[in-house]
Amino acid sequence: MKKINYILLLIMGLSIIGCSDLEEEPVGLLSPDGFFQSTEDIQIAINGALTAAIDEEIWGRKLSISLMLRSDMVKLQSTQPHRVEMDMHTITGDNEMVYDPWKRLYQGIAAANNAIAGAEDVDVDEGIKNPVTAEAYFIRAFYYFHLVRLLGDIPYIDAPIANLDDIDAASSIGLTPEAQVYEKIIADLEFAKTWLPNTQASRAIPSKAAASSYLALVYLTMAGTSDNAMFQKAFDEAKEVIDNKAIYNLDLDPDFQTLFNADKIDASIEPIFALDYNNVEAANDLYDQISPMLGLRGDEGWSVGVPTMAVYDSFEDGDYRKNVSFQTKAPSGDTEVDYTEFIPTVTVHAHADNRPYIAKYSRYPGDYARGDKRATSHNYSMIRYAEILLIAAEAGVEIGSPLALGYLNEVRGRARNGGQSTSGGYVDVTIPASAVPADLGSITVDDVLEERRIELAFECKRWYDIKRRQLGDVVFSASGYEGEKPNWNASEDYDTPIPADEISSNPNLGN
Amino acid sequence: MNLKTKLTLITVLLFNIVLIAQEAVIKGTVVSAKDGVPIPGANVIILNTSKGTTTDFDGKYQITTSKGEVLQVSYIGYLSQTITIGDQTTIDVSLEEDLAQLEEVVVVGYGSRRKSDVTGSVSSVKTDELTAFPVLDAAQALQGRAAGVDVQSNNGGEPGAPISIKIRGNTSINASSNPLIVVDGFVGANMPQAGDIESMQILKDASATAIYGSQGANGVVLITTKKGKSGKLNIDFNSTYSVQTTSNRLDLLNADEFADYQTQVIANQAITSGSTASPYVQGDSDTDWQDLIYRTGNTQNHQLSVSGGSDKVNYYASGTYFSQNGILVNSDYERASFLSNLNAQVTDRLKVGLNLTGGLSTKSGVSTQSDGSVTVGGDDVVSLAMRFAPDKGIYNSDGTFSINDQVGDPVDNPWAVATQRDDDTEIENFRANFFADYQIIEGLTFKTTFGISTKNTFRGVYMPRTLAITAGRGLDGRAIIEEDKSKSVLTENYLTYNKEVGKGNLTLLAGLSYQKNTNKGFYNEGTGTISDGFSYYGLYTATSLIQPEDGDVYLREKEIQSQFGRINFDYDDKYLITATVRRDGASNFAANEKYAIFPSGALGWKVSNEDFLSDSETISNLKLRASYGVTGNPSIDPYNSLAKASTLYASRNMSTVQAVTPDQPANPDLKWESSYQSNFGIDLGLLNNKITLSVDYYNIDTKDLIMVNNGLADYIGFVNDEILVNAGEVKNKGIEIFLSTKNITNDDFSWTTDFVFSKNKNTVTSLINGDDWFGNGAPSYFSVSNTYILREGEEVGLFYGYDYAGVYQGGALPAGTATIPGAVAGDPLFTDLDESGDITNDDRTIIGNPNADFTWGITNNLTYKNFDFNIFFQGSQGGEIFNMTNVQLNNGDANTTSGYFNNAWTATNTNTNQPRVGNNSFREISSRFVEDGSYIRLKNIAIGYNLPSSVLENIGIEKLRLSLSAQNLLTITNYSGLDPEVSYFGDEGGEDGNNTATNTTRGFDFGSYPTVRSVSFSLNLTF
Repeated sequence: MKKINYILLLIMGLSIIGCSDLEEEPVGLLSPDGFFQSTEDIQIAINGALTAAIDEEIWGRKLSISLMLRSDMVKLQSTQPHRVEMDMHTITGDNEMVYDPWKRLYQGIAAANNAIAGAEDVDVDEGIKNPVTAEAYFIRAFYYFHLVRLLGDIPYIDAPIANLDDIDAASSIGLTPEAQVYEKIIADLEFAKTWLPNTQASRAIPSKAAASSYLALVYLTMAGTSDNAMFQKAFDEAKEVIDNKAIYNLDLDPDFQTLFNADKIDASIEPIFALDYNNVEAANDLYDQISPMLGLRGDEGWSVGVPTMAVYDSFEDGDYRKNVSFQTKAPSGDTEVDYTEFIPTVTVHAHADNRPYIAKYSRYPGDYARGDKRATSHNYSMIRYAEILLIAAEAGVEIGSPLALGYLNEVRGRARNGGQSTSGGYVDVTIPASAVPADLGSITVDDVLEERRIELAFECKRWYDIKRRQLGDVVFSASGYEGEKPNWNASEDYDTPIPADEISSNPNLGN
Repeated sequence: MNLKTKLTLITVLLFNIVLIAQEAVIKGTVVSAKDGVPIPGANVIILNTSKGTTTDFDGKYQITTSKGEVLQVSYIGYLSQTITIGDQTTIDVSLEEDLAQLEEVVVVGYGSRRKSDVTGSVSSVKTDELTAFPVLDAAQALQGRAAGVDVQSNNGGEPGAPISIKIRGNTSINASSNPLIVVDGFVGANMPQAGDIESMQILKDASATAIYGSQGANGVVLITTKKGKSGKLNIDFNSTYSVQTTSNRLDLLNADEFADYQTQVIANQAITSGSTASPYVQGDSDTDWQDLIYRTGNTQNHQLSVSGGSDKVNYYASGTYFSQNGILVNSDYERASFLSNLNAQVTDRLKVGLNLTGGLSTKSGVSTQSDGSVTVGGDDVVSLAMRFAPDKGIYNSDGTFSINDQVGDPVDNPWAVATQRDDDTEIENFRANFFADYQIIEGLTFKTTFGISTKNTFRGVYMPRTLAITAGRGLDGRAIIEEDKSKSVLTENYLTYNKEVGKGNLTLLAGLSYQKNTNKGFYNEGTGTISDGFSYYGLYTATSLIQPEDGDVYLREKEIQSQFGRINFDYDDKYLITATVRRDGASNFAANEKYAIFPSGALGWKVSNEDFLSDSETISNLKLRASYGVTGNPSIDPYNSLAKASTLYASRNMSTVQAVTPDQPANPDLKWESSYQSNFGIDLGLLNNKITLSVDYYNIDTKDLIMVNNGLADYIGFVNDEILVNAGEVKNKGIEIFLSTKNITNDDFSWTTDFVFSKNKNTVTSLINGDDWFGNGAPSYFSVSNTYILREGEEVGLFYGYDYAGVYQGGALPAGTATIPGAVAGDPLFTDLDESGDITNDDRTIIGNPNADFTWGITNNLTYKNFDFNIFFQGSQGGEIFNMTNVQLNNGDANTTSGYFNNAWTATNTNTNQPRVGNNSFREISSRFVEDGSYIRLKNIAIGYNLPSSVLENIGIEKLRLSLSAQNLLTITNYSGLDPEVSYFGDEGGEDGNNTATNTTRGFDFGSYPTVRSVSFSLNLTF
């Protein structure tokens, strides 16, 4: 009996070893293989592409703030070198405000490529799946449009990277010339325009109107200073949106302030495409920090970017948009003090200054904004109806359309409405209608550009306008709103450098 | 058959084993012939039978025999005696010492060897060294004690901070460099309490570690816990109480000086920007924040152990209680742990044993060493106390906590963060390991082990709304609860065969091993709790639950199965050969690379046993050793080689929706890192081993390093920026010296000295595409990057930044220098490496080396009558420190040191090397902040007194020792920061920094919990 026990024990010991095939069978890990089965799966992949835009590395802070600093409208108050480079046009390929948006934009593109390729695996009629897939085409174009405007020639990828062979191939591609990138963007937007529904449940979901509007802006950008064929296309596309505004459910919002109120913006008919900021605090920095970046120290802000007095003064007194765009008062205890007394009453911080601050982001950040008003639920407009009117006006002037002046005056007319705003700080008041700004009697390109500067102030449009209209030598001279930017060099500063790390990964990008 | 059934069967089988029958009994006592002292644990066997026993504590034995049988008595270090049984009922035996054999036996993997027969490089640390002064973790006692072993707390003197051990440098970059810890045969165990450790062996070269194959590349720490000895009951009580203080403080500005400083900063910045300056408005308080957050701490450690046994069974049971009140307010640690070892000689062929250990610990911490991601380091009490404005009080006039709202980014005050925040970590661990050892035939034994180990970690963090910046407006409290549950099952089976072959001795080992590790857990965070009084348990009331990220809720499984074998052949006690091989397969490796083979071989020559030396008076021992082998490092996470998509937070029409994005591609070729190690050693004993010396030279080439492919361009679009590839090589070579001398040995007075010296040179020999690799040793809110570099041909982790060239005095720039654009007199000058005329990122270069040239330790032990003394110095030479603390304190947007303020450039103080305050440089990473980190530290000084036995006998106590000691009493260093033993891991995370950070982020100092100075009183009592 004893012997048998020992032998049994031995066998037991050995048998416990078992024999594993060492295969991994993870639970809770999302395998890309066989993911795309239904239209819903395409939608999930598209959601991944859309949400990249709200990341801190894109609109949440790094891209949006860099676009503002590079313009002539926002002066840097702090001293971090990567921000100084943006403000002073000494941008290097190591700058995180170049690198991080680049990285995140391409992640959004990869997610869109994934959705577009995955849609081919879904065995559903085109009429059902294409209106969904078209969102991926739209957002891919949206991201590439930012990249091509920032950098010019860029690496262009429109297929998923699935395995090591794909990686090897993609790792040595060269730059695609700017003109070819634009062709691809137009093709994507045309697909989107063909298949997307006229309207969607939310302005943060791409619609046919959004695709058409972006086509207009793409053509306007491609037109540069003198390409009349492109101005014609931009005009036609913008006019198509305007003429179809009823179908698209678009118009100017009667109250300009509504566009910058997190609680009201979603009901407005003016936004054409917006970002879907959330009502919870997401991880991964998928939230917005624009408001604290531009807000006043002592008033939940960090005083990083503040307009100069010249910018403030360039707005006509009595123009409601001046009231909406600037914060001229801040709370101190139970009272509000004027901007001339921000220091020392509200703050004595070295970065603060006694100037009006940008109010478009910080005035009505919504219920969900947390400490220092970050993580708002404000669905910022990427393009809105007023801009379509101004695109039509600008392109119209260039091609000699008699409609141009009317489009411009429509935008100015809305500003005369006044509305529900504040007295400069946070005390709600009703601003009555006024006679300012008066309608123009004639129109030039400069008039439209100036109108864009005022109407779209601090909405990250200005730098792209400066670039496409080659305004740098003027606006960064001593007579510019921020005074002379001595390092400005028109021969190289319009194009953002490709990140140095990327060139070292793929030297073919360095050519 | 499932595991449970198997376990049940084994248990049943064990209890079925029937003990042997009884016969006539012989008793006796075994003593040493030299001094007549009883020998406990001597083997008493009846030759050619299966009968045998061991002597008890008093050297007594009894055994059943029959007349005519032959009794053999043996004990290690003594010559065996055989006696034929006649009519005696009592046989007392007096054993002669065997001078040839009187030597240590060391544990090696899956067996043990006489120390003189070991061919590999093995360091042993003695029990009394482990307990010479109170330590939280036995690993701390290794520092300066074992050559080639580098020990560091991951966060200075923080109660309960993890202790990292590195053997012979770090052989990896991305994978773990921690050694394998094997406790009583259980692979991958937690370190036991110092008081429970019988012996600790550190296996360093491939000959010693290759038997652990893919887990051996970082070295192996083999620990044997205490076992009971046959004989009378032994009760030991050890108790230590320590008082602790900070060893250092920074000399910071007081409120008036601070207001002066800020006024100058504002004025100077206005010069740069061309704006107008207004003077700093001074607050109405004068607060020394360092004084507020530090206190006198204490630790206590109490251990009670009971051991003993009969001739068939022995036992050891021990309980240890440790508690610490840290020197930072609100930082506490408490631990209770238990260990028991039970061994039974079931029959003369079968031995079984069970090792059980368990413990509970609770750490209540304040937050230090922040990665900088929480509101500009608002969770870093130590650096906050240095940075925070001294002209603010703890409270505002309305009773709320003051915040920093005048200088720098808004942040809560250090006292508020230290006292308001809850951060509790509870760890429970348990391990059970069963073994059975069966002698199949003479010389052939089979051993099977089966063990399980669990570790459960709970962490709760609560930031109340009283912390206005961290958890105030719009947050209303932030609660985090996370839990991790890890489990390991290990079974090993091996055969050992030993045979004399002529003049040679052959030992063979062959075995199988299977281990499965499982990790599961979750992380949950929410804001907006109903009341701060709920602490983190208020998570359920959170109005906003934060979406868990990919990886926050997880199950990770890893299996490793192995075959291993070893041959030892000794010829004529002169020539030694060892060869080992292990084949490992692991689930976490890629489809095409599941298995790998790790071989090693070693030769030893006992020169002193050759005829020409055997009569030498001078040379009592001389052995030469050489080994070569391959070991591996499998420490990458499960599923790293699989293609993966990750989920993202996304909102659509104001509803949260599912969203996915490409995360990482499949990598079917991801494989083990392999270290190719050669080792040459010499062991020398002089003058009857009064002087012993061991010198080892090693060279480790680690290839196929698993590295983050930062060569993979980001435009390719994967979210995971840590895609792994096998690329890169590092080399470690070095020399280790261990010298031990018995300076004086006589009845009343003895003096011994141990000297340990280690020199390791680490070189990066290959990187992906030959490209430099950069990391960041600064907190994330510094907004700097690339503060250190890995470059081919250089050591790991060199500091990278601008080369500081003094202060710009205005006018023409000195040749070869430049400034950051817009400089005025007083701003810093740097070497203009790219000769562009401006200082830009292209002017960065290697500016320092954190790696020490060598480290050393020297211990002197003296005894005089009943007194004993221990003096232990430990030091490090040649490593540099990057003083990140000063980067922040010299930046203008915080308090600063008197040293900087008083020496900074001004129009009237131009002859200085410190730029003006508020200069045009922003948190500059430059050689200005690189300092020499060499130090010599009086690690321990102790005096002990053993009460004379004449006193103790009357009160029934066998031994009573009292001792008084002091740790870290004296540190000699030129480093200006708080402590030269620094460990900050930058934006990769504080003390829990990932592998890459802990391997490569070296020599950075920022916000670490200060190392403490302590005075300890100990009592050791044996009944």
